[in-house]
Amino acid sequence: MDFKPKRPQKELKYEELRIYTDEELHNYTEEELKDFKIKHDIPDLEELEKGPWPSFVADAKREALHRKKLPKERMMIDQDVVDDLLGQLQLSFDDGETHWKHGGIVGVFGYGGGVIGRYSDVPEKYPSVAHFHTIRVNQPASKFYKTDFLRALCDLWEFRGSGMFNMHGSTGDIILLGTTTEQVEPLFYDLTHELDQDLGGSGSNLRTPSCCIGKARCEFACIDTQDLCYELTTHYQDELHRPAFPYKFKIKIDGCPNGCVASIARSDMSLIGTWRDDIRIDQEAVQAYIGGEIQPNGGAHSGRDWGKFDIQKEVIDLCPTGCMAMEDGKLVINNQECNRCMHCINVMPRALRPGTDTGVSILFGAKAPILEGAQLAVLTVPFMKAEAPYDNIKELLEKVWDWWIEEGKNRERLGELIQRKGLPRFLEVIGVPAAPQMVKMPRTNPYIFWKEEDVPGGWKRDIKDYRLRHKR
Amino acid sequence: MMEEIKKAILEFAETSKKSKFYFKDLEKAVQAKIPEAKMRDIKKAATELVNEEKLIYFSTGSTTMYGLKGRGITEDQ
Repeated sequence: MDFKPKRPQKELKYEELRIYTDEELHNYTEEELKDFKIKHDIPDLEELEKGPWPSFVADAKREALHRKKLPKERMMIDQDVVDDLLGQLQLSFDDGETHWKHGGIVGVFGYGGGVIGRYSDVPEKYPSVAHFHTIRVNQPASKFYKTDFLRALCDLWEFRGSGMFNMHGSTGDIILLGTTTEQVEPLFYDLTHELDQDLGGSGSNLRTPSCCIGKARCEFACIDTQDLCYELTTHYQDELHRPAFPYKFKIKIDGCPNGCVASIARSDMSLIGTWRDDIRIDQEAVQAYIGGEIQPNGGAHSGRDWGKFDIQKEVIDLCPTGCMAMEDGKLVINNQECNRCMHCINVMPRALRPGTDTGVSILFGAKAPILEGAQLAVLTVPFMKAEAPYDNIKELLEKVWDWWIEEGKNRERLGELIQRKGLPRFLEVIGVPAAPQMVKMPRTNPYIFWKEEDVPGGWKRDIKDYRLRHKR
Repeated sequence: MMEEIKKAILEFAETSKKSKFYFKDLEKAVQAKIPEAKMRDIKKAATELVNEEKLIYFSTGSTTMYGLKGRGITEDQ
């Protein structure tokens, strides 16, 4: 499907936006880097450089050297900000506690999120990081960027900030790490007016919706994840920028049950592409896999000889619901039992494909906090069509929001509210009937609170009579 | 109605025990005075007050609170 922008798109040209010349940007040699020392002693951080993996300390040192050699008149915050950042981190290692102060009223006018205030509590020692605010840049769906945009953003961030990024944060945004209060508004102006780029969500807002690569590159995608992500981002701008939720709210969209953005584990509303008809089977291709003419898993494990492909052992016996079999030399699937594990489709993508009647499964309530441990989402709507303008999905989402805003305590995530009030109450609110699949272990713990009106004929219960036979 | 809600918000922001408060506290305070005020109207009124530079957002990164401009922490520290 062609991309239809909701507002005119600006074509960015790096040559028109650049702040530094190529010579200014390529300003140090590897030899110079070897001899380079930052202005603080950082023995513990240097330990981190010694392992086999790339180290953020090595990257930060490169940036420290790079900034020292950039033209000073085109740098709006201190050139040695990276030196002080590493210095303060070493101090935190020495003291075993952080030296960052978190939060504040810093932000851009009219936005309740997108900027996170950060201050050093030892500013006299590390003056360049006295203010070190973080800024979230709203990523496009599936994180497709033109190099013109990325290069212009890098130049802008050297100019108005520390030059350091997270590519990307867990919410999905590009995170610009560290600038002063004075630079926040000018940076926002340049981002929006020059780069045509908005900030992402933070605080008690809808966080920037995020999706997998979708139909852009992936044949498994059951839905147009990018279109849905873009639609939700633009439709819910007020929720993204002006906070009125009890806490954060994340929406993530996976195109198929492989779940490449792990929406099931880390979003309050998880939308996962699925199908409700049958898996498409190409029996000739099945035979080609069996005969060894097509490599299983698209050749992903071909670095080692695993022996001849064995469909019984590698696919049929591994089906979690046992719904596959070979009958008269043909592969058959009992689709009613399929629980969308995707294993058979991943192993034999040319023989098996998702069905054509596609939509989303919707799950609610996941969160991944560091201290308390993760909570997975609960499957709530097994299937819903997902076609533009997605009014059905929006209607459901708004019901959930209304309930959470009404009933949720301050700093209570949706998943915690569902646990506190119970899944039956949540289902009542959104008008979805309970199903066995929502129960964790339906065969061993089919425990349900029935209401009188749910049971034909109802019942009568005399508590006094009950207490005659059952002491408290 | 909108003006009444804005007035109730400002009254609460001036007299609340804490200088920074959650949206929910704001909502409860407004609804105590104007029971028919809906959440979305209160949010609209709060947004207008932010745009008029009477209210401010206070963000910890994970949570956002509201405050009266000039009350409590006013500088960026």
